[in-house]
Amino acid sequence: MLTDLRVSCAPHISKPLSTRSVMIDVIIGLVPAMAAAGYYFRIYALILIPICCLSAVATEWLCNKIRKKPDSLGDFSAVVTGIILALSVPPSLPIWAAIIGSVFSIAIGKMVFGGLGSNIFNPAMVGRAFLTACFGMLMTTWTVPATIAPTMPRIAADNTIHARTQATPLAWSKQAIKDKTGAKVVNEQFEAAFTGEIGGCLGETSTLALLIGSLYLLIRRNINWRIPFAVLASAFVCGAIGYLTNDAAYISPLTHLTSGGILLCAFFIATDPVTAPLTRKGMWIFGIGVGTITMLIRIVGEYPEGVMYAVLLMNAVTPLIDRLCKRIPAGGKPSA
Amino acid sequence: MKIDVKGRFTFPGGTHPPESKDLTRESKIQPGPAAGQVAVMLSQHTGAVCRALVRKGNMVQAGQKIGDTDAFVSAPVHSPINGKVKEIALQSHAVLGRSPAIIIEAYAHNPTRRPRSTEFAADFDESSFSSEQICEAVRQAGIVGMGGAGFPTRVKIEPNPRLPKETMIINGCECEPYITCDYRIMLEWTSQIIAGIKLARKACGCSQVFIGIEDNKPQAIEVMNAALEKSSNSDDIRVVPVKTKYPQGGERQLIKAILKKDVPTGGIPPMIGVLVLNVATVAAIAKAVVYDSPLTHRVVTVTGEAIANPGNYYVAIGTQVSELIEFCGGVTQKSAKVVLGGPMMGIAIADLKTPITKTTGAVTVLTKEQIGKAKFARRQTACIRCGRCLEVCPEHLNPTKIAHAVKNNLLDVAESYYISGCMECGCCSYVCPANIELTGYIRTGKIFLAKQKKKMPE
Repeated sequence: MLTDLRVSCAPHISKPLSTRSVMIDVIIGLVPAMAAAGYYFRIYALILIPICCLSAVATEWLCNKIRKKPDSLGDFSAVVTGIILALSVPPSLPIWAAIIGSVFSIAIGKMVFGGLGSNIFNPAMVGRAFLTACFGMLMTTWTVPATIAPTMPRIAADNTIHARTQATPLAWSKQAIKDKTGAKVVNEQFEAAFTGEIGGCLGETSTLALLIGSLYLLIRRNINWRIPFAVLASAFVCGAIGYLTNDAAYISPLTHLTSGGILLCAFFIATDPVTAPLTRKGMWIFGIGVGTITMLIRIVGEYPEGVMYAVLLMNAVTPLIDRLCKRIPAGGKPSA
Repeated sequence: MKIDVKGRFTFPGGTHPPESKDLTRESKIQPGPAAGQVAVMLSQHTGAVCRALVRKGNMVQAGQKIGDTDAFVSAPVHSPINGKVKEIALQSHAVLGRSPAIIIEAYAHNPTRRPRSTEFAADFDESSFSSEQICEAVRQAGIVGMGGAGFPTRVKIEPNPRLPKETMIINGCECEPYITCDYRIMLEWTSQIIAGIKLARKACGCSQVFIGIEDNKPQAIEVMNAALEKSSNSDDIRVVPVKTKYPQGGERQLIKAILKKDVPTGGIPPMIGVLVLNVATVAAIAKAVVYDSPLTHRVVTVTGEAIANPGNYYVAIGTQVSELIEFCGGVTQKSAKVVLGGPMMGIAIADLKTPITKTTGAVTVLTKEQIGKAKFARRQTACIRCGRCLEVCPEHLNPTKIAHAVKNNLLDVAESYYISGCMECGCCSYVCPANIELTGYIRTGKIFLAKQKKKMPE
């Protein structure tokens, strides 16, 4: 009866939690955003999301085979990367471009560093940066949602069914900054930006869906509230400064928060545990950095949107932040 | 008077493993097996190892001192039974590996030791004992901290002019899953505990006493409060319900919860004028001082899903684990792990001949299924830096950094992340989604560091 005893280090019980369950929670958190994408952009979403996921998963499988490493698809992190990449590209992106982006995300963004846990940069953002650099035109062509067309001005008066494009609120606000007028028109789009009935990346348009998904992640304690709070609060402050100086040229901070990728970034991209700092102090610095750089690019910089560069820049300094913000033990530093 | 049993006091960090205390919560303390043979370890405590006072073939009586040393930080050991010394040999020790023990064969007639709880008046008066008398009796009885660390109690309670103690905390938290021995002691030996508290208070000269009990034991809180009300000269003793959270029973965490003070990293509670004693230890103090009775028996919770009759037993120190398991009806299911202590900090043993020591509060037998469910049976994956270990660490350390530094043999880096501050509570390993045995790595790192720092013999 009492033979074959096992010995191991304490503790002998563990919480039912795995990398896979953590990733599945993130996928569940992304479901509302995917659903909103499916509702507003129909066939684009139905094609892009599965394509990105599949090519991401296939790339990871192939990389593991080439590196002769054990299979790591079970942790579902490639699926998460695929979904986030799909949600952060324009709906009209051609399939071949989406595949290139996904392959680059996984192969160069993650696997060359040694796989999950070792990557410095957020893989999805690496892929998106690559796409932006290579296919700038495709990455800035915005399709109108399939539901009703809002009142945003069109870029091109193209009346074919599939290729109706329009300016995003942020592109328009960039124009407003140049013209020193017209910010009010953008602010009026607030309601459309909240529901998602507006031009933009596949998954970033619907504020409501993103909030629902992030609420789930916060309740499940899957993400630490400090990073999203720091991102959004610092972005709000930067936006408010611009708005208060000249409300004709600069759009309101709330419009800033509801448009572009800042919500997707705050809750799903900046909170990627691998590329964010470990300590609480570090999280605050990281979050404020992402929010501030995003807003600097939006208001002062040349691009209408800056989330991707903000995240990549802060990813790069994450190891430094971790080193600077060491935890002090509860009993203080040992006197030795 | 309505007693508020909701614990408001707690510490930052910690986690909530399933309590699993229902197996033995209602089980009264019963006499343990009549041991045919006991192996009394010569080292059951922190400090110097005892020297055997008897030889092979000597007759010994129950309560006779059989091992002692002149060292200050140490405690003598006594025979729990009448019998004959069979040999002095190496035995498996849960912590020390192989360690010397005195093996005693029992006589045919050995009266069963019954745990008695009626020996102490509810209104115990300690004034007839002097502080020196109490300290000497505690030393002679070989009392050590029975919560797990096994630090000699005399050293703890003796007044030290360099580190004067003002506050005494009695630890009745029992935050480890499964274990209920302290809970039963609090319910059944209440007046003995109060007598012990008064004696310890007199010995150390503390002016205030707190009894910290987790709020998942409302009955214990009520019983202790009621006993204190009946007792005189107990105005400075207060029961403090604390929040149920692992590791609330760690002394640093208990001090933090009750006094809101931090013990310096690498330091000891007397540095901030505090003394922490386990409830089982104070019960032993009462017995030692009043009845001159040495520490030869202790309450052990024999538990786990695989045990036929789980319960709390008053067991002779030196009883083999296998004998105790046998006494409890053996195991019912496929058992896979025998743990001395609870599942969070207990030590899995491979040799069932390992004897019970003064610090063994429980024998937990875990089933194969439970082990399989525990993620450590599965593959460790890469750290995803989710930070859960940082959130639960009660010592506010960075477990993943320390563990990975040890893994990569960077002991200086591990030290720069304050590896010495870890008390090995196991919270980080418990929550880690990547199945990394952080506590194991940290413990290994500590051993390496200790080896590195060991002075070469001149």
